[in-house]
Amino acid sequence: MFYNPYIVFFSCNHPSSTFFPLSRLFYRYRDLAPQLVPLDYTGQPDVRLPYELIGSMPELKDNPFRQRIAEVFSEDGEGNMTLDDFLDMFSVLSEMAPRDLKAYYAFKIYDFNNDDFLCKSDLEKTLNKLTRNELTEEEVRMVCDKVIDEADLDNDGRLSLEDFQHMIVRAPDFLSTFHIRI
Amino acid sequence: MHSMFTCCPLLSHHRHSDDEDKEDERADSNDPEEMFQNIQFQKEIIANIRTRAWPMRRKLKALKQAREIVLKYEGRLTRTRGYQAAGADLLKKVSRLLYNIVVLFIPWEMRIKKIESHFGSGVASYFIFLRWLFGINIVLTIMTGAFIVLPELLAGEPFGTTRSKTIPQDNLKSAQDLDTIWSLGGYLQYSVLFYGYYGRVRKIGSAGYRLPLAYFLVGMAVFAYSFIILLRKMAKNSRLSLASASDENFTFCWRVFCAWDYLIGNPEAAESKGAAIVNNIREAIVEEQEKKKDTSLAVLISLRILANILVLLSLAGSIYIIYFVVDRSQKLEQKPELTLWEKNEVSVVVSLITMIAPSAFELVAQLEMYHPRTSLRFQLARVLVLYLGNLYSLIIALLDKVNSMSMASAATPAAVSILINYFQAAASAGSGNWSDATAFMETMSQPAEENLSTLVSNGSILERRNSTIATIAMVLDINTSISKVTVATMYNGTGTVEQNMPMKQDECWETYVGQEMLKLSIIDMIFTVASILLIDFIRGLVVRYLSDCCCWDLESKFPEYGEFKIAENVLHLIYNQGMIWMGAFFSPCLPAFNVLKLIGLMYLRSWAVLTCNVPHQQVFRASRSNNFYLAMLLFMLFLCMLPTIFAIVRYRPSQYCGPFSGQEKIYDIISETVATDFPLWFSKVMSYVTSPVVALPALLLLFMLIYYLQAIARSLKFTNNQLRMQLQTVSFRQCLSQKLRLNPKWQPICYTEDNFWDKKPDQQDSDITSHDSSVHTPSPRSNGSVTNFQSPVRHGNSIRTITQSASRAEIVRATTSAGSSRSPAMSMLNKQRVEQIPNRHPVYLGGPSGTCRSKSYHQVAYNPPTRYSSENIHSDPLYRKTSRAVHPAEAAGTVTAQSYAGRRAHTTRYVIVNEHEARKKLLRSATRIPRHFRMEEPVGEIVELIPRNIKRYTPRVPYGHSHRSHPTQPHLSEEEEEEEGGGKREARRGSFGQTHRPRSLSDLHQPARFYIGERVDSQQTQSPPRIKPKTSRSVLEPSLTESDSASLASSSDQQNSSTDQYIQVIHNKEKYLKSEARQGKLAKKKSKASIDLSVPDSKELVCSNV
Repeated sequence: MFYNPYIVFFSCNHPSSTFFPLSRLFYRYRDLAPQLVPLDYTGQPDVRLPYELIGSMPELKDNPFRQRIAEVFSEDGEGNMTLDDFLDMFSVLSEMAPRDLKAYYAFKIYDFNNDDFLCKSDLEKTLNKLTRNELTEEEVRMVCDKVIDEADLDNDGRLSLEDFQHMIVRAPDFLSTFHIRI
Repeated sequence: MHSMFTCCPLLSHHRHSDDEDKEDERADSNDPEEMFQNIQFQKEIIANIRTRAWPMRRKLKALKQAREIVLKYEGRLTRTRGYQAAGADLLKKVSRLLYNIVVLFIPWEMRIKKIESHFGSGVASYFIFLRWLFGINIVLTIMTGAFIVLPELLAGEPFGTTRSKTIPQDNLKSAQDLDTIWSLGGYLQYSVLFYGYYGRVRKIGSAGYRLPLAYFLVGMAVFAYSFIILLRKMAKNSRLSLASASDENFTFCWRVFCAWDYLIGNPEAAESKGAAIVNNIREAIVEEQEKKKDTSLAVLISLRILANILVLLSLAGSIYIIYFVVDRSQKLEQKPELTLWEKNEVSVVVSLITMIAPSAFELVAQLEMYHPRTSLRFQLARVLVLYLGNLYSLIIALLDKVNSMSMASAATPAAVSILINYFQAAASAGSGNWSDATAFMETMSQPAEENLSTLVSNGSILERRNSTIATIAMVLDINTSISKVTVATMYNGTGTVEQNMPMKQDECWETYVGQEMLKLSIIDMIFTVASILLIDFIRGLVVRYLSDCCCWDLESKFPEYGEFKIAENVLHLIYNQGMIWMGAFFSPCLPAFNVLKLIGLMYLRSWAVLTCNVPHQQVFRASRSNNFYLAMLLFMLFLCMLPTIFAIVRYRPSQYCGPFSGQEKIYDIISETVATDFPLWFSKVMSYVTSPVVALPALLLLFMLIYYLQAIARSLKFTNNQLRMQLQTVSFRQCLSQKLRLNPKWQPICYTEDNFWDKKPDQQDSDITSHDSSVHTPSPRSNGSVTNFQSPVRHGNSIRTITQSASRAEIVRATTSAGSSRSPAMSMLNKQRVEQIPNRHPVYLGGPSGTCRSKSYHQVAYNPPTRYSSENIHSDPLYRKTSRAVHPAEAAGTVTAQSYAGRRAHTTRYVIVNEHEARKKLLRSATRIPRHFRMEEPVGEIVELIPRNIKRYTPRVPYGHSHRSHPTQPHLSEEEEEEEGGGKREARRGSFGQTHRPRSLSDLHQPARFYIGERVDSQQTQSPPRIKPKTSRSVLEPSLTESDSASLASSSDQQNSSTDQYIQVIHNKEKYLKSEARQGKLAKKKSKASIDLSVPDSKELVCSNV
């Protein structure tokens, strides 16, 4: 162990410091690309890890939504993450993050075209990712219709954030499944 | 519901934190009150920063800034406050550190997490449940260990001193044999493991520890603790999960959005999870299709009946087998030599049944062709019934045996016991002092002889004993000459006697029950281990290594890998715990044994899961917040407690063993202790308390309490439903208004309307009625009103309304927020005012869909501020943003005005505490807003703004309703008359605009996206004919609406504060809505007539839409 001022600053001042042991996260981040990430973060270097590295983490690599997760949490929207983004991602996906925050980001993740609504195309993408394209088009269409039918409170044919939250906070195992251990 | 609102401010923050940052920096006023508010505000930011959906960089920045401000100003305010803050900070850090340390010590945390990240939360929930049970058993072990076992070991009489602690002589030889130990006899039987070992001495040790009392109390405490901990856990879980509160059906949604377990980090698990999701969705589709076509299949029904009959038969069979086995073991015990099988028959049979029957049920369930989830439920229920049946038949058989034992002992009179006493004494003498023994025998010989004679005549069962007794008698006759030989024969004699009537002397039914339970638990453990090794491990090995040299694919076809069946494994745990509860009273070390067992199970299972199991295909929804397991456990606990309690209450404790020997009933220990060791008054009190005089009222009280709570729960459920409906309507309104706003077709209309309106200010009253009502109908016309303050086309006027309405809204909300944060009473008051509208809701909810949707729009526009007082300030920037986007030229003025109003929120807080001053202060604060404007805006704008703002806060309440309905109204206050021309109109328009202030973020930070669903379309086409009768009618029938609002909102009308007036404007809207709702049906019937009616009004209608 050695002294890293940035990490020390983090572990006592960081907003998410109760979520995760931050130094561990930092080392996880650094281990992805030791040649890119400096140990000394005091100068706040502008380091971004490409999505290929982020997506190959064992925690994410089997997740069908890994690309979306990386995109949602990265600042540039492309999945390339700074340390801040990385911390952000795991603080939201940690066990301790509040339900609303999780619901908000879950919405973002499923909102593939970033239009703040889950429309049919989003749902289709979600389904196809989930099932690895094993459902027929007919089935996908039917499921999408049913989903919108169930959760769409305002009958506009798509799910707004409110609709989504209303639905998701009632799911018995949303909280327990929407998190990642690191 | 709660969460819906919290997120909105959160998001608005996200958008506008830059503005906020500026605000933060400007907060350098010297007014201590304001400073304090600011510090509070910053502290809120610090506290809630985790819950904000900001990127990390912004979070850090905001946090740093807020910290700096707090540090800077807090020191200025008071020094102690600074120290306090520092102390709190330190405490927080320490507690965080402690928390981290505690986490390190949570047993198996890493192991469970590893499993969780491989197999998902379903499998992990089994282990978490196991760990939780482990925790319970630890506590139970500590309870029994500390209060029963340890005192007995330390202070009780040592082993071998009393008869109940001594192994009978003839058993001594075999006491160390393996099979004796195995069947828990020998040394184990006479140890602290079982009830029989504990002494009956009332007080032991130098401290006078009351062991028998402790034994009884701990036995009860085990149940009490289990109940309490279970119920607490259940309550906590149900608080955590909102799912139980709602009966909504989101099957497809949950299957899509909650299907993926983000914890999964293992390709195999991901694979099977994906397959499971596909299955799941397909099932749901099939189910959905099944719903549509209802086929009555006679075959299916008969199959199901058959299956149920089979299950019932197998249940009955298993129960019979267990009973039979216990019965047989009773007979077998008469035999001198028992084989290993005969000794363990009962436990082995029970364990076998518990292992085999679930699989049989599964086979049967395939016959039924239920939906997988239903069949899983059936399966669980059947297995639970089976387990319970097993335990019950076992315990009933055991108690039956106990019964016969006590019957037998009752048959042979006390003489036998005396005889036994005698022989026992002789036996002990044999090992001890000879001369003493002879003396004792001499004294005893006389009665013994008599007893023997009676015994001889007693019955044929004792015939066998006669010979030995005779020899003993002979020995007694010649007792003067004692030799080793006679002593030896005497030994033999006692030996045979004891062997022949084992139940009379040593048999202790409590020990027997405890032994059986422990044996059952052990055998169960062995079977579990064996099944894990055989069914999972060996199978896994075979499948993995033999799949190459086999003609079919072993991994995917026949044997496959063993599945980890969560539900059945959990049930097994529950069953196991049930055994512990059932036997804990008779075998105090049973919890300790269970702790060991659970530890072993934990390691073995986790190892097996990680090496050779695949997750179950049908994932049983079992999250941590699921109360299903716990409910079953509770059920089990209750049913396991019953036999124990029954035995305690019903049976007489054994005469010669255990802490309660010699008592009539076990629970007598309590009354005895109360009677002897407590002061007299206490026993008196106790007798009163236990008498029906107290018990019956207490029971009644309990019932009343239950009823009351039930009623509360019902009403909460009702409220919940209502809120849900309101939510539905709100989001409908939002999306509608958004669509209308975005539709360029309507904008020219509203522009002309605006002009038109300006020309005819004297028609305002009727305008308002019409415009109020029209706004709330999903008609094409209403779009004009919505566009009014948000469309980019508008100029001066409309912008003015924006700023006005917004700042007004700020103040109103500020007052409410201030009230709620300052004093609960005030917040109540404010809420009352604000929520008059929601109160009225039930009336409308049943109305036509269009109207009922429009109504609740206000409600939520108001509710968030009252509920989230601290947040509503943050939610404003959102609105600010839109207005800015709309009109960049005037945006600066708007923004500052609003931020100023936002700041005012702090100052008005204390103002509101004094109710009478409230109005004046509000007036002042309202007038200050324009002053602010003056600095940054062209002067021409202000002239009109000031009066309008003031006007909004003038008291007009007493006449509020009445003058609305008449176009020319003489009952106006002086202030109002001054500005009647434009101010009043503006005020109304403004207030109306405020109600329409879009609450949701989604429709604001949203690029123009236009989508009109089919239903909306149909409503829009329907609605135009509906407005017309409404507007004309509402002018015609003012009395109806008046009385309505007066009766419903009486509480608010009594208070002449300015906010009231404001509310009443909305009230009137409501009124008209209501009249609309009533007339909606009428309108359909005579739409033609109403159209005719409204033709002359049409212009007015159009202009009203501003």
